[in-house]
Amino acid sequence: MTPNRLLIKPTLTLLSLVFALTFSFGQSDITVMPEKVSLDVGESTTLKASIKGDDGKVVEDAQFLFFTRRRKGGGAVEVDSTGLVTAKLPGEAIVIVIYPHPDGKYLRANIPVSIAYPALSRIEFNEPPQNILTDIPTAISATILDKMDLDRNDLEISFSSSDPKIASFDAFNNLTGHQPGKITIMAKVEDITAKFDIKIEKNPVEDIQLTASVDEALSGDVINFEAQTMDKSGKMVKAPVTFTFQGKSAEQSEFAGGLIKPDGRFVAYQPGVYTITAVCGKNSAQKVVRIGDRQEVIKRDIQLVGKGSVTDKHTSDLWVWEGVDGRDYAVTGTWGADGEAFFWDVTDPANMTPIDTVKVDARTVNDVKVSEDGRICIISREGASNRKNGIIIFDVSDPTNVWKISEYSDGLTGGVHNLFIYDNHVFALSNAERYDIINIEDPAAPYKVGEYEIPTPGHSIHDVWVVDGIAYSSNWHDGVHIVDVGNGIAGGTPAKPVLITSFTYPSGWNHAAFPFFSKSTGKFYVIAGDEAFPYGLHVKDNPVIAAGWLHVFDVTDMENPVEVAKYEVEGAGSHNFWIEGETLYVANYNAGLRVVDISGELLGDLRAQGREMGWFISTDPKGYVPNAAFTWGPQPHKGHIFFSDWNSGLWSVKMEEKRLKN
Amino acid sequence: MKKLILQLSFLVFLMIGTIQSNAQEYYVYVTAESEDEVAVIKFDGKKATVEERIVVGTKPAEIEGPHGITVGPEGKYWYLSMAHGTPYGQLVKYSTETNEPVATTELGIFPASMQISKANGLLYVVNFNLHGRMLPSSVSVVDPELMFEIKKITTGAMPHGSRISPDGLHQYSVAMMSGELFEISTLGLEVSRVLDLEPPGTRPKEDKSQKEAKVDHSKMDHSQMDHSQMGHEEMMHHSIVKPTWVIPHPSLSRAYVAGNGSNELIEIDTKKWKVTHRMSCGKGPYNVEISPNGKLLVVTYKSEGATGIWDIATREELAKVTNSRKVSHGVAISPDSKYAFISVEGKNGEPGSVDVIDLTTFERVAVAEVGKQAGGIVFWKMMK
Repeated sequence: MTPNRLLIKPTLTLLSLVFALTFSFGQSDITVMPEKVSLDVGESTTLKASIKGDDGKVVEDAQFLFFTRRRKGGGAVEVDSTGLVTAKLPGEAIVIVIYPHPDGKYLRANIPVSIAYPALSRIEFNEPPQNILTDIPTAISATILDKMDLDRNDLEISFSSSDPKIASFDAFNNLTGHQPGKITIMAKVEDITAKFDIKIEKNPVEDIQLTASVDEALSGDVINFEAQTMDKSGKMVKAPVTFTFQGKSAEQSEFAGGLIKPDGRFVAYQPGVYTITAVCGKNSAQKVVRIGDRQEVIKRDIQLVGKGSVTDKHTSDLWVWEGVDGRDYAVTGTWGADGEAFFWDVTDPANMTPIDTVKVDARTVNDVKVSEDGRICIISREGASNRKNGIIIFDVSDPTNVWKISEYSDGLTGGVHNLFIYDNHVFALSNAERYDIINIEDPAAPYKVGEYEIPTPGHSIHDVWVVDGIAYSSNWHDGVHIVDVGNGIAGGTPAKPVLITSFTYPSGWNHAAFPFFSKSTGKFYVIAGDEAFPYGLHVKDNPVIAAGWLHVFDVTDMENPVEVAKYEVEGAGSHNFWIEGETLYVANYNAGLRVVDISGELLGDLRAQGREMGWFISTDPKGYVPNAAFTWGPQPHKGHIFFSDWNSGLWSVKMEEKRLKN
Repeated sequence: MKKLILQLSFLVFLMIGTIQSNAQEYYVYVTAESEDEVAVIKFDGKKATVEERIVVGTKPAEIEGPHGITVGPEGKYWYLSMAHGTPYGQLVKYSTETNEPVATTELGIFPASMQISKANGLLYVVNFNLHGRMLPSSVSVVDPELMFEIKKITTGAMPHGSRISPDGLHQYSVAMMSGELFEISTLGLEVSRVLDLEPPGTRPKEDKSQKEAKVDHSKMDHSQMDHSQMGHEEMMHHSIVKPTWVIPHPSLSRAYVAGNGSNELIEIDTKKWKVTHRMSCGKGPYNVEISPNGKLLVVTYKSEGATGIWDIATREELAKVTNSRKVSHGVAISPDSKYAFISVEGKNGEPGSVDVIDLTTFERVAVAEVGKQAGGIVFWKMMK
């Protein structure tokens, strides 16, 4: 014990003494003056608080607690123990004043504080162009800064041209040149102005040649359009081109939607005829393409093959593997129950048979994984009654006689929510803070060799998946981290994981991630899945409605991951998913199992493009929550799709080879 | 004669009816940490029943772990700490009238036990950080009216057992892993005193307990607290006592600490700020409460599945009552000092329970079954 930590602070002792004295008075009400405060940033004022005793006289030496909270507009003040209030940030704040009393008769007043915005300082243009071509609208923008250098985006800037005959603004701050010349652009807010000079040059483009990578394609296919701009002499010149499209659907009741990017990549969402237009000034060119119905080609019926019902408790994740005896097996976990994991013989997917059960000290076995050689199974533990949690390692060489080899909880007592097994190592989440890497070359004597933890404050991890020595972890608002844990691409090893790249997206719902090397395009994608429940809880007796979708990131350029596409089922939410070949299998909670064609380049809304190949809703009237599909995780295996459902257990389905007829 | 019998029967009937209508009813709230549920228990003097089960949390597919619970002094709201977030836990304010949530605010990692000071109305909740790295954690001070965190006050490693002095002027918590008792001035919002709870001569001179050490605290089995299994010679000193709870006496200048690791109850003179007695007790003392009349101390023995009842005056254990499940957890005592309500966790899929112990006969008189891993428990109200 260090002496300073035992020190009784004299100030606090004095404070207690003063309170002891003031408490001897009764009191009736608290008065704080002023009752409202208005300050400029940096300005201070002192709140005068007082109370009156039962005799109506002001209690002398009464002491008060002062503290503060931001309110509307992020206003901030500081307040000290004497009631001195100093404005720090503009907006609204509140100062709470409490007169403490040991008999529970404390008094309290909430004093609103309004902090005025500082005077405006300047306007700064955002990358103002030095010259533009005539007849091509160009967006002009600027930032308003006040004297605290705060971005005042609550105010609107008025832009004007010194000579509207040469160039003028539309209502949305786009500047269009009408004839060559030099003008000055003025920006004004209140009495603050800024300006810059710009040269308007004649647009030399007299012709545009528009070409497409193909003339016919399916909905969901990406067509690349290229526009070459040429001057009067036919010489190619560089000029900005805008792409637009108009389409006519093949179906009377459908709209011909799609997406075209500034670089000319176009994807149609509906079958029909689309006209793509390239515009440069007063010149334009058009190209017509015909789009066929992808659904006609890819749609499949998904048929139920078998059920391994678990209806007395929730089921969590699954793993399906070929055993050392050549038969096929599955393991499923349980959730919020009694720590069981079930082993199934799924060689005949129509007759999935439970063959063994293990029970560990846990309430949730959220994750289960089996080694590539089919001999080792690891399961995660949460809610252990002794709070040890960690992982359990089983020998599943004979899945009819599963036996525990060892358990490992060092550093994992906070609960393991997800785990992975790869190349004699277990990647186990610890306390939602990090993943630990545990060597299990000798599964009877596991030991930790490394760990990976994001350095940002308030980080939280949810899942980890390893392929080819690269770990893909999902970290809610910190997004996906791609880490070399033995691949060598960044010099990483299990003992020394090295971050390769990471990316985030605004919702902060990142829950799962799966890498996808697209053979048909050579691109490398990582699909990041959400988990969200914005519509409340209905755990016991009603279906749960989830939200969220899959975000497709193009990570071909590892330095610059770009979100390019999404897969969303409206009214439901994504959970775990799997990719085999160029097919995506999604457990979509209340929307059941979904199978999605992810061949070719991916761009835009994949479901709207008709890339969904089929679906199966795992509704079970005898389910833990009856008739409430809550599909948890899928895994394709030897031509069948196995998946677990939270309310009904293990399912096997098969996607028909034959194309359905509408 | 027949008429007289009839009249007497009617009188008896009336008397029984009167007695029944005047029967005292006791209500407690209890959390089920592995069920994401809070139960309202009614005890009518004979039978304990679950009046309502309240599903808590926001994520159906995650266990969010309701842990600490308290009722505001005015009785209009109850407050619940949710241990698991991403990564921070939350404080949720519920209406006692509707048992519906009305406000939330974010706290630290694994917020746990809490209480509201009657001196200023502020709520003090420990950020337990049960499975985190061995670093000093904190006590969050929350304004329960506007539901925001005013301040985090740094204390020790793995703070637990937030209890406030009867006058509301001091908040006490213990740091399980650094073996210390912390006193916070509820007025100054700072740590006012720290007391080393380790037996004299057991703390190494070069203790780095409050410095950042590369120590993975989660390497320990927190429930069993078997120090010998931890194998961390290079790490900071880990408490032998492993205090898990502290309760100030309602009228005397004393506080009592549960020494979960040392199997003892530690009596502290809060004026002199020193340990005055160490009393050996059952295995794994976990939560401790004192009857409002100041006479009895009730302690759960987590490792025994039992509850100890101690005479504070003589410092003797009067009785040890076997609980209905194996893992005893929390204690709440009725304001009339007649009954102790014990939350018992259970194991695996076993339901948790609330045992009612008669503090005059020292017998378990009722059991109510609740969700898995029953933990935080708080007395709500008495009604007739």
